[in-house]
Amino acid sequence: MTSYIREFLGMEKPKGYYTELASEIEKKDAEYHAFTTLNRKIIDCSDGSVPFTTKANICVKGIETTAGSKMLKGYLPPFDATVVERMLNDGKFSFLGETNMDEFGFGTFGLNTEVPARNAFDKDYVAGGSSSGAAVATAMLKYHVAISESTGGSIATPAALNGVVGFTPTYGAVSRYGLIDYANSLDKIGVMARSADDARMVFDIIKGKDEYDTTCAVEKINDEGKDKIYIIRELMEKTEPAIKKAFEKMVDGVGKSYEIKEVSMPILAEAIAPYYIIAMAEASTNLAKYTGYKYGLQYGEFNRRYNDFFTEARSNFGIEAKRRIILGTFIRSESVKDKYYTKALAVRRMIIKEMAKLLNDGFMLSPTLPIPTPRVSDAMKLTSVQNYAMDIFTIPPNLGGFPHITFPYDYMDGMPMGAQLITGHANDYALLDFVSEWEKGFQYKYKHNLGSL
Amino acid sequence: MKIGLEVHVALPTKSKLFCSCSMADTDAPNSQICPICLGFPGSKPMLNEAAVSSALGIANALHCAVNNSISFVRKVYFYPDLPKCYQITQMDGAIGSAGHLDIDGKKVRIRRVQIEEDPAQIVREGMLTLLDFNRSGTPLVEIVTEPDITTEEELRSFIANLRSLLYYLGVDINKEIKADLNISLPPKDIRVEVKNVTGIKSLIEATRFEIERQTDAIKNNEGIARETRGYNEKSKLTESLREKETDEEYGYIYEPDLTTFEISGTKFVKATYVGRIASELAEGTDVNPRTIREITMLDRHSLGLIDKFKGKYGLRSIIHGIQRFKKYGSEEHASDAEIEKIIGLVESGAEVTREMVLDILAGKDVKVEYSRLTDGQLDKMIKEFLEKNPKLLEEYKKNSKTINLIINQIAQKNNLHPKDVAKRASALLNSA
Amino acid sequence: MEDREFERLLKITRLKLTEKEKETARKDIEEIIGYFDRIDKIKTTEKPAYQPTEIPTRLRKDEIVPFPDADALKKQSKLHDGYILGPKL
Repeated sequence: MTSYIREFLGMEKPKGYYTELASEIEKKDAEYHAFTTLNRKIIDCSDGSVPFTTKANICVKGIETTAGSKMLKGYLPPFDATVVERMLNDGKFSFLGETNMDEFGFGTFGLNTEVPARNAFDKDYVAGGSSSGAAVATAMLKYHVAISESTGGSIATPAALNGVVGFTPTYGAVSRYGLIDYANSLDKIGVMARSADDARMVFDIIKGKDEYDTTCAVEKINDEGKDKIYIIRELMEKTEPAIKKAFEKMVDGVGKSYEIKEVSMPILAEAIAPYYIIAMAEASTNLAKYTGYKYGLQYGEFNRRYNDFFTEARSNFGIEAKRRIILGTFIRSESVKDKYYTKALAVRRMIIKEMAKLLNDGFMLSPTLPIPTPRVSDAMKLTSVQNYAMDIFTIPPNLGGFPHITFPYDYMDGMPMGAQLITGHANDYALLDFVSEWEKGFQYKYKHNLGSL
Repeated sequence: MKIGLEVHVALPTKSKLFCSCSMADTDAPNSQICPICLGFPGSKPMLNEAAVSSALGIANALHCAVNNSISFVRKVYFYPDLPKCYQITQMDGAIGSAGHLDIDGKKVRIRRVQIEEDPAQIVREGMLTLLDFNRSGTPLVEIVTEPDITTEEELRSFIANLRSLLYYLGVDINKEIKADLNISLPPKDIRVEVKNVTGIKSLIEATRFEIERQTDAIKNNEGIARETRGYNEKSKLTESLREKETDEEYGYIYEPDLTTFEISGTKFVKATYVGRIASELAEGTDVNPRTIREITMLDRHSLGLIDKFKGKYGLRSIIHGIQRFKKYGSEEHASDAEIEKIIGLVESGAEVTREMVLDILAGKDVKVEYSRLTDGQLDKMIKEFLEKNPKLLEEYKKNSKTINLIINQIAQKNNLHPKDVAKRASALLNSA
Repeated sequence: MEDREFERLLKITRLKLTEKEKETARKDIEEIIGYFDRIDKIKTTEKPAYQPTEIPTRLRKDEIVPFPDADALKKQSKLHDGYILGPKL
């Protein structure tokens, strides 16, 4: 078992350890932009607790929390998100800061924000999104865990690109109270860490019912092991050869302990459209509330009539946010709502049913992304539709609320590659068991190890 | 003419619809607020079970089809008082649908009963828009009717009946009633909406004005625009709203922070239909059901008294006794036993005066001394009375119950015991 | 998408775009809608899944729990005599 948390808690920290750590982070972060806020108070931390970060869309009382948006500049949440409260109450952890992200979670590569985070292995490459900063911070700091969030792949994608473990629990297993919404029926708070055991430890602290989130109601988390692993043909067909080759090599190894079966499930290759339809429809309602006077950005021209006031204030959304508000609003229009929104919800049920049946007797395994890590300059050339296509593997489990985990399985030209394992609803522990097992035979590599002792 | 209503009613809960902030009255603006009713990023709604129970009582009272499960939608529109710029309300998953309310032998169909949240209150001070979020998140029920109301009388009757029904469910709508009206007149039936009318009086006045305005327009061959108007309480006029809303649409979607709630086990208060109870009570008596209805419509105490004493005293005496008590006494300081004494006095035929009521309520013993007359004196008095009131005699010939009226009048005027008068009066009239 | 529809969407979302942004955004949006149209080809008789999992009913008891820090809420906005200042009507 590898647990950096336990290792850290068991070690004597030299005097001034946290001060040193904070200034090291500040120095490095000038290049990587993993953090949006660094909690300088951690310097006073003398209890030897483990630093944890939160994605910038998770409210921390009194700490500027912007969800990567100019619209929330200056927003000081008057309360802690439930996950933050639980982490702080646990006693083993102290809050280190908030991590960079695509504005409101709108992005696959972490580029849709003012100052994008950079890949921890090579600054020329994308960090992945939308939880870009969480993944980069995890890959930079030796002793640290990141509370992160996924709507359509925002944990898995950056975790894979930065070579860390990214765990997205079953929808409703972890309270969303205090999470700044992207799409409420898809958003899930999860964990990034350098080992499955660390992710498990954090999951055990943050999971469980919450009287402030109606949808957080998963009673019991299981660890039903499986002996089969399914690989979906239609998704593998969309994978670039270099990735396919590396992935197949890994599967060969895994095949010694599991029965590997390639199966056909064509509907999964169609999951992108229904996912984005639902996500944008919900997002466009969530973003209506940002009108520039109650919190965050203050437009201030109170002598202007409200429609002009709102329009001026809302011009501070980034272009991707604007695009999604417009599209989401279009999708909700009475004349096309059934064609897009209602249909997408029906397709979601169809996908959930088909996946649940398969996951009942085996895991699903795939690469996390269909392409090798792109350079920032290349990723910026992608059209929206090309961008959305990068989510081909991460969308099915996210759309269906299925727990999934990404873990590093190989390195290509020095860049990490991640694989994604999916299981049925509420069987989250089985994923963590699998990756713990995997870690016994595979050593993760990191370029930075800030805070090493 | 067709009138339809959307009536908004605040539910009597301790806390708000989706958060635990107090609903108590307060003068301090923004003193009962939290991240949820302010719509702060990261906050989520949690549905109040008392609001569901109360709304279920209303849906049931309006004979609605009640679903086993309910769900909510987001209604998106931009206005400074709306914290999230969407309102959480109900559509297909509404708590009640396809109901009706009986008004004087007619059914006004209820399209839907839905739960929703109230926005903040706007106070205008000069050019400033001041917002008080204490009201934000107040649980409301919106009752949507079909356009089945056809006269002002029916509108009054609908409001009165609805108010009574709600009163018995613990919801008082006297001042707080907020409604949107839609009115269309023949021959073209162009639907005109009047939004945000507050109070029963304004509702009637707005309707009357709008009917007159449209009638005049039709008479003068002016067109009627299909539009939304506002009601100005000061000028008592409806005015076209300047904002063009034709491009706007609400873009409803399912509220994904809430779920589909199973409510089949939810307890609720059963309805009290005063009209029906009044008719049942009045049957076979000489009491007009309307009288019973009028005194009990917004008075559960009176209804309780009638129910308590109905086997023991005549219905007329009970009603009369209650009326006397209501006129001179007050509920807080009276026991049922004291009110029973008043009813007893009425039953004994006494003319109950203010002094008598106050004496009874002050715990004093009140007895009525009757004059005693011989049969001959009584007969003379009855004959004289009938000569002076030939109409009553005629009436008696058609309806023998009129004898009670004759007896009461003679007894009260002359301080006689009604039983004494009755004995002679029936003998005389039967022989006449 | 027709000009009128695009302008209508901008108006009802309270968004404004520069002419240049409009051009690229519209092209993008049309491409995305074109991609969304793939959903037409999927045949299904399933009911909508509003949430990915079945969630049991949970209601809140009607109890008053005042928020401990109302000032932290109010100080985020501009105040006037205890009222939160909003834009002109």
